[in-house]
Amino acid sequence: MDAGAAADGSLAARAEPGAGPSHWLHGYAAMVRWHLLSLRLWAPAATAIEILSGVGMVYGIGLLAPHLSARGALYATTGPAIVALILLGLILGPQLVAQEKMAGRYEYTLTMPVPRSAAAFAWYTVTLLIGLPAAAVTIAAGVVRFGVSLSVSAQLVPALLLGTFAITMLGYALAHAVSKPMATMLITQVLVFVAFGYAPINFPSSQMPHWLVEINRALPFLPMATVVRAGLTRGLVTGVWVSYLVLAAWALGSAWLALRALGRRG
Amino acid sequence: MSALAPTGVRVPVPRRGVARWLSGYLQMLRFEAASQRDWLPLLLVVELLIGAGMAIMYGFYVSSVPPRLAAFIVTGTPALALFPVGFVMLPTAIARRKLAGSYDYVRSLPAPRSATIAATASLYTVLVIPGAAVSLAVASWRYGVALHISPMIVPAVLLTSLTAASAGAAIGHGVTDPMVTSLIGNLIIFVVLLYTPVAFPPQQYPAWLVHLHELLPFYNMAIVLRAALSVGLVADVGRSYAILAAWTIAGLAFAGWIASRRR
Repeated sequence: MDAGAAADGSLAARAEPGAGPSHWLHGYAAMVRWHLLSLRLWAPAATAIEILSGVGMVYGIGLLAPHLSARGALYATTGPAIVALILLGLILGPQLVAQEKMAGRYEYTLTMPVPRSAAAFAWYTVTLLIGLPAAAVTIAAGVVRFGVSLSVSAQLVPALLLGTFAITMLGYALAHAVSKPMATMLITQVLVFVAFGYAPINFPSSQMPHWLVEINRALPFLPMATVVRAGLTRGLVTGVWVSYLVLAAWALGSAWLALRALGRRG
Repeated sequence: MSALAPTGVRVPVPRRGVARWLSGYLQMLRFEAASQRDWLPLLLVVELLIGAGMAIMYGFYVSSVPPRLAAFIVTGTPALALFPVGFVMLPTAIARRKLAGSYDYVRSLPAPRSATIAATASLYTVLVIPGAAVSLAVASWRYGVALHISPMIVPAVLLTSLTAASAGAAIGHGVTDPMVTSLIGNLIIFVVLLYTPVAFPPQQYPAWLVHLHELLPFYNMAIVLRAALSVGLVADVGRSYAILAAWTIAGLAFAGWIASRRR
């Protein structure tokens, strides 16, 4: 009887209101914990892979293009961290969701009594926790490899937060709105390929055909690179505010798409 | 009795010897080709992305491409297109079977395991040819490089794609966790695209790295293909053929051993 009463009491104490900020915050915190616990083995591995791919890109570019101009060196220093963040946002989330779908755990996760927006925001938080340390290491490796000096400004904070949010939400939307995991994987792999070489991130846009650069202005990758680079360098990039607007549009559009897909299923 | 012969009478399967192996091989070839149908467009997309796509992309990274570098990039394109099919897509296909639970079903089919492996390897050897050819044509057009195609292109393509398929079969059968298979695939793509002298002259890379690659398959794949497409860019092709042959035999033997082990 005592044990039963205690269990009842704790249940009552844990019962949350069905709406309102405290319900949202509680769900958010619970989902962050959920992700960190279920990724406890993979999160350090993901950070290590992020660092390896970022630093690997820095030194790889050094091999492919041994005679970089000072401007090219600035791009090669700041670009790999951005590409690695894009890789993380587009691959990790969809990969986990695809695994859940294939293992039959997807519907179970959907039944959790957590607002969809809180779950999405929790996933974004986890992505930041994995990605930002790796981005810092990658940029440091670029500074060492190419011997450039950066001028870091406070602008870097909103740039990284909004850029990562837009990319993570894009991956989240692809993972939830596209029903076939195989199709999601294919789309995200192609997008990563585009980010690596068909968007002017690791090299200046002058090295790419003009029409390709114009297309990239409407996609999220170049705007993310522009705002992050504006926070790391001085006088290198222009059109920062337009880039913020494009990024915000992608972030809102992707988040809306993901939440709509989740709501429809739920 | 002859009147009773049913239309669906089964041809007796030989119980041993070369005939049994061949019959198993042919049936597994048909089985594999049929079960990979929906996977084939994806293979072509990957080949074109990593073949033609990388050839064009390298030009963006290197702001100016002198003629010698252009020749290296163009003649490296078929190797770029070839390697992911065997090294990455084949293990992924096997990993998918493990996830879907059909891996053990395929194991239970009454064909010799070596015939199964050989069927998969030969299917993936042939599958890569269209994508590699289109990628080469695109790169040649993009950089305006004229090719000197010799008859050696036939053994070069067959051996390189067979090497990739054999190594891929070894990875696919040997690695139990599909997540690890996917990790190995991504690592291979990364290392080949950035750290292997496939599309760039070896002089651009540190000597120790080139020496390491002389023992690995990727650089040697590029060498034998480049030798069949150009004049004067590579020397000592025989060594590369020998190393690729060794990798092929090792890959097939390992895959066959893993697949035929009792569990």
